[in-house]
Amino acid sequence: MNSLIEQAPLLAPIALGILAVWMLLPREGNRAWVIAGLCGISALLWLTKNFLPPVDNAVQTGMFFLFGGGAIISGTLMITEKNPVYAALWFAVVTLSTCGLFLLNAAPFLSAATVVVYAGAIVVTFLFVIMLAQQGGATGYDRKAFQPILASIAGFMLLACLLFTLQAFGGKAVVAADGEEQPVARPQFVLPPANVVSNPLSQPQPRRDKPDQNDLGTLQGVGRSLFGDYLFAVELAGTVLLIATIGTIALAPRRSQGTL
Amino acid sequence: MSWLNENCLWLIPAAPLAACLWIVVAGQFFRRDKAHRVVVLGLLASWLCALNLLLVVVPSTFEDHGEHAAAATEVPHGGRLETKPGSVSYFIYDWFHVRGAGSQPASMSDRQFKADSGGLSVPVELRADALSALMLVMVTSVSLLVAIFASGYMHGDPGYPRFFGALSLFVFSMCMLVLASNFLLLFVFWEAVGLCSYLLIGFWFHKPSAAAAAKKAFVVNRIGDFGLILGIFLIWTTFGTLEFDRVLANPWLIQQTVAAQPEIFTTICLLLFIGAVGKSAQFPLHVWLPDAMEGPTPVSALIHAATMVTAGVYLVARCSPLFVHSPFALQVVAGIGAATALIAAITALTQYDLKRVLAYSTVSQLGYMFMSLGAAGANPQELMQPAVTFALFHMFTHAFFKAVLFLSAGSVMHAMGDVIDMRRFSGLRKALPITWVTFLAGALALAGVPLLSGFWSKDEILAVLHRAAQSEPHGVYYTVILCIALLTALMTAFYTFRAYFLTFHGPEVFPPEAGHHPHDAPPVMAGPLYILGLAALFIGLATGPTHLYGHYLHHTPGLPAPVVAHHADGHAAEGDHAAGEHGHDWFMMLTSSILAVGGIAAAYLVYGKHPGAQGVKEPTPLAKLSLNGLYLDDIYLALVVKPLRSLAELSEIIDRLVIDKIVDGVALVPAFLASILRPIQNGLVQHYAFVMLLGLAASLVWMLQALAGTP
Amino acid sequence: MTGQLECQLVVGAILFVLGAIGFLTRRNLILMMLSAEMMLHGVAVNLTAFGRYHGNSSGQVFTIFVLTIAACEAGLSLALILGLYQRRKSLDVQLWGNLGEPDLPILSAPEESRVEPQHPADLPQLTPAGAMPKTPTQPFSQKV
Repeated sequence: MNSLIEQAPLLAPIALGILAVWMLLPREGNRAWVIAGLCGISALLWLTKNFLPPVDNAVQTGMFFLFGGGAIISGTLMITEKNPVYAALWFAVVTLSTCGLFLLNAAPFLSAATVVVYAGAIVVTFLFVIMLAQQGGATGYDRKAFQPILASIAGFMLLACLLFTLQAFGGKAVVAADGEEQPVARPQFVLPPANVVSNPLSQPQPRRDKPDQNDLGTLQGVGRSLFGDYLFAVELAGTVLLIATIGTIALAPRRSQGTL
Repeated sequence: MSWLNENCLWLIPAAPLAACLWIVVAGQFFRRDKAHRVVVLGLLASWLCALNLLLVVVPSTFEDHGEHAAAATEVPHGGRLETKPGSVSYFIYDWFHVRGAGSQPASMSDRQFKADSGGLSVPVELRADALSALMLVMVTSVSLLVAIFASGYMHGDPGYPRFFGALSLFVFSMCMLVLASNFLLLFVFWEAVGLCSYLLIGFWFHKPSAAAAAKKAFVVNRIGDFGLILGIFLIWTTFGTLEFDRVLANPWLIQQTVAAQPEIFTTICLLLFIGAVGKSAQFPLHVWLPDAMEGPTPVSALIHAATMVTAGVYLVARCSPLFVHSPFALQVVAGIGAATALIAAITALTQYDLKRVLAYSTVSQLGYMFMSLGAAGANPQELMQPAVTFALFHMFTHAFFKAVLFLSAGSVMHAMGDVIDMRRFSGLRKALPITWVTFLAGALALAGVPLLSGFWSKDEILAVLHRAAQSEPHGVYYTVILCIALLTALMTAFYTFRAYFLTFHGPEVFPPEAGHHPHDAPPVMAGPLYILGLAALFIGLATGPTHLYGHYLHHTPGLPAPVVAHHADGHAAEGDHAAGEHGHDWFMMLTSSILAVGGIAAAYLVYGKHPGAQGVKEPTPLAKLSLNGLYLDDIYLALVVKPLRSLAELSEIIDRLVIDKIVDGVALVPAFLASILRPIQNGLVQHYAFVMLLGLAASLVWMLQALAGTP
Repeated sequence: MTGQLECQLVVGAILFVLGAIGFLTRRNLILMMLSAEMMLHGVAVNLTAFGRYHGNSSGQVFTIFVLTIAACEAGLSLALILGLYQRRKSLDVQLWGNLGEPDLPILSAPEESRVEPQHPADLPQLTPAGAMPKTPTQPFSQKV
């Protein structure tokens, strides 16, 4: 019990999040938007307090808040939206936010590729199917969530574990009993030993055009890593795509079985 | 000849056993209608060996004929044959040998045998002395004649080989019972004769009444066997051994036990007597014998007249060295014998089934034998020997005349198409002359007409009872018993001749089942009838007054002799008996003759003069009482059978409603446990995903918990 | 440095969990698939954050493969969903619960009718055929 009370800064946003998600999940009757929204926002703010990003680079922090917060909020809105079409659109927003995060993580190619593949192909295909299958909008089974309480609790319990692990391994100090922040020595995330390079081609090397910069995040670096260290995996991925194509064509219902 | 002397002991039971095995193995399939040949041959061999035993082997062991025996015959020696004074034993194998807790001295003679070793050693050993020899001759001769008779009587029956197989098995068991050398072996064959009786009574097992009668016989016998086995246990704990040589033929051990715990003899004797009550159909366990008439008539003649029912008498006679020390037990024996004789005689007065009359008559005569045995209670030392002698003599003569009566009844049945109800036929004198003559011979013997065999044996019993009535301190008791015996003698004569007159005199009436012309016994049936008829008439005269039987029997080792001072060794001194034994009790002879003739005359007056007039009268209440066996069967039904049946039904209900339900309840536990777990599998993918997520979260929590505190 | 990493990992974790909750609660097959894709987004954020932290391209490359496989999965799952839709004419996942014990009540919301009768009020009110629609009363020139 003591340990639970100690972990209150972690558990409080979790509890608020459970409340928010549960209240927002589709149900009969009206949902308490305002309260749920307040709970959710306060949970996010509390989390921010715990896991505060470094404030040194304002732009980066602002971008992070934009994209990260946008992803979270769009994700919540996606899973709690009754109308499946709107939910798919919210998913597209999630994808865009995630791509923004990719940009922050020095992966511009990936963000562009994700926008094209995901938001451009996958989401569109899903939307096609929704619109073809459910022309009346939200149906009965869209309006009512299945096991909302249990799912929220289970999910957020997992989140609590993950956050606890992050907290244990992160650099944030714990507020001690006397109210002072004390820097506590924590184990760091595992870095590879200095003299061992496991994926040499994935390590950043000087750029061709600007030798004083490394090519982390450039297409050149990605390409070298992709077709260098992971060539075999690339070939396999191509084969998997081919097989998936054949499989999709084989599984899809025939015209003789009736159109959609 | 010496080979025969050495081996006749085990040949006597082995021959019928071999015949039985032959029938079991081959006789069922191979010449079924000739199955009797093997059995008759076996029984003939057995009879010849028994004669040899009686006339040659056993007399050679008598000590007072010492030089005589050594000169005339070779005393059997060698191999497994062992001769002791008065008896010869043949060892077959050691059945079991249980070591006791105490130590057993390395060498001990019979006289110094100590009963404190606590172990038990039971060999399969045959032992024959004078008593055994006499019984064996009786058993084998009657068996042989009955087997010959049965080959004609059972002709055409579908179970012909089975009959002869069971019959030879029975003779084997009876011979082994008589030849057993220890109590446990006796008990084994006691049960075996009960089993064979079951097989033979229930021979026509398709008839429900026959099956029920067989079951009744076995169950009632079993009740007696319970007492017998308890008695055997008590003998073992008291004497430490079960062998006849050591317990009964050993006066030293008995004297020791009398000195140490005299009251144990009463208990032992009463328990052994319970066994005799069951086997010999005494009151209260006599109810099985009349129903046993459902079996074929040869079976009734052999088992329920001559051999099996006499096993009880044999047991008491064999254990007379024990009984002699317990006057109370002997009084009980006499009392029960008297009660049985009276009840059976009363019941036989109104029976209309000829075989049942004879069955009740058997019960009554067995009561006579036990009365005789119990008469020794007045003065055990003095009276034991005559009591035992005359009881066994009556058994001997009874075997023959009862057998001839039963076989004649069988011949009547055979002629009348299996009808034995006396109300349905009469006047068979002219149609069945052979049967008429032999039946008359047997009836005269049974009634006790002077100079016939029944007269001699019955008269001697009455004489012993008279002596008992005259001695103190139980004179009054034995006077009552004597009066009952006399009354029973009168009634015996009456009902025997009632049956005779109803059957053979009067107008000739045949039942429809008889066919057009009832035929008399064929030669194969007539032969045994004649032989047994002659025996019924004359064997008593031949062996009784001449004291052939008595003197021979007195050589039985261990048989208590009246205390006489002449000879130094413990054997009975011949020629030196009290006057009452050798001299005849003329008063009793006269009384019994008058009673016999009076009974016959009364029967003639009632049934002989106006034959056929007893047809359709409604029985008076007294007659009904007699007809239904004094309602004893009904009493047993109400007191014993119905409560047990209710108990069985209650048990069945408990078994079905309680025990089965408990078992079902136990079976419900897995179902219940499963029903708790089943809802997890409800077919919904999202539920399964939820369980997976929950498992993941839980395992993560647990892992973090385990890692807590580690850097 | 780790601060930047940590918050991104938090975002990734939250996206993953939200996707899990969406998968568990939504009954529409398409939305279940979309929630699964959101879980993949969370993982991708995680991967790229670590890639940046370690100064390595492996994170992005891994994410490219995740993307590839996600595309295959989306295609195949849509084919299957179309087949299922053809059988029952509905995208409800709870119609396909045959593998459960037949006598158990389904641990879900009480039975709703599979095809809800549409409220007459929801349907658009069309003018009866053949009739001339009413002309607007307000002249066009006066519309704002």
